[in-house]
Amino acid sequence: MTVDPNAATQDFPSPEPARGRRQQAVGYLVPALVAGAVALALGAYGKVHEPAGTAFNLAGFSSTGAVKSWLATGAMGFAVVQFVSALMVYGKLPGPSWAGVLHRWSGRVAFLAAVPVAVHCLYALGYQTYEPRVLWHSLLGCFFFGAFSAKMLLLRSERLPGWLLPIVGGLVFAALTVVWLTSALWFFRTFGVTT
Amino acid sequence: MKRSGPLFTLLGGLLLALVMLSLNATTGTSPTASGGGETPATKVSPSPEPEPTKTTASPSPSPSAPGNADYAGRTDDDSSAVAVSLRDGKAIAYFCDGRDQESWLKGDVKADGSMRLTSKQGGVLNGELKGGRISGTVDMGQQEYGFTADKALKPSGLYRATESVRGAEIDGGWIVLPDGQQVGIVKRDGTPSAAPRIDPETGAVTVDGQQLTARPVQP
Repeated sequence: MTVDPNAATQDFPSPEPARGRRQQAVGYLVPALVAGAVALALGAYGKVHEPAGTAFNLAGFSSTGAVKSWLATGAMGFAVVQFVSALMVYGKLPGPSWAGVLHRWSGRVAFLAAVPVAVHCLYALGYQTYEPRVLWHSLLGCFFFGAFSAKMLLLRSERLPGWLLPIVGGLVFAALTVVWLTSALWFFRTFGVTT
Repeated sequence: MKRSGPLFTLLGGLLLALVMLSLNATTGTSPTASGGGETPATKVSPSPEPEPTKTTASPSPSPSAPGNADYAGRTDDDSSAVAVSLRDGKAIAYFCDGRDQESWLKGDVKADGSMRLTSKQGGVLNGELKGGRISGTVDMGQQEYGFTADKALKPSGLYRATESVRGAEIDGGWIVLPDGQQVGIVKRDGTPSAAPRIDPETGAVTVDGQQLTARPVQP
């Protein structure tokens, strides 16, 4: 059975309803389970691993906080590109023909920029709850990587309802926004915009 | 036919995370790893012999372990401050004279509220939790101090900040006492000196012109 990958996420009537429904259920279930597992695993690691307090720093930056804030801000910038290019892909905004490529690659860059930040957070600081800002950051930080995993895996599933990807993508974007607001923006407001 | 791009993206992120984790684990910049080599820099306290019984194999904390709370107070001679943080039967304590002598001590709390905490440099804290306060002694090798630490509510308690600032490893420890007074030491590559005040609400502190964040310490 060959299916045009570009049409894979479109909602179209299945020729074999029973089999299609089962495939569809698996298509939801696996990403949902993986998302839960990723978020829980990150949270559990952050809670169990004794925070090291520090980790290696990048050259050219004064502190690890500054490195993380700038990486996170970079990821946030690409996330905005994600939002706009997604609107183009779905035809809600006029966009170039390469909007899809832009969406894929800006997403990859944003994700890869966010990973080192998360590693530092979990390794050096851990899952903390001592004030609301920190609690929300810890919680949504774990949620973000879970939701992102789900979004990536959903892209591989066929015959999803058309609204599903935008909803999950929106969740990922919203989570990243709060994570950024509670960390990098807080850092810049508290310590000034330093490098 | 399924797209493999998203899968590669996820695997790439996982790979990057693993590489960074292994770098962190191998470079060993964590304070616990570098703490042992810092004793020679402390002038006043001659590095005591590390105790053979470094790992206190006390019985595992029972379910009725004392509740989670922070305690802070002064030594009997008023020269130094002691703070203890209890979480789930484990304790971490910080002894600090605000000038050049400090020690982080760790250990378990028994069900009866008694604790024996040890530092990597051989310091020992023996304490007992009774009636909302911990009293006992801290043996810093050269001298033994009696202390009493009352229950401390945020923002009082113990804080730590570790960052690398322009190539130097900064390691700061603070005790915020219930009356708002602070006792702290900042070590620059292992050399101790009096610490600037932290903002107890945010943990913000300026060290050598660099803004750092001191975070509450828990075992």
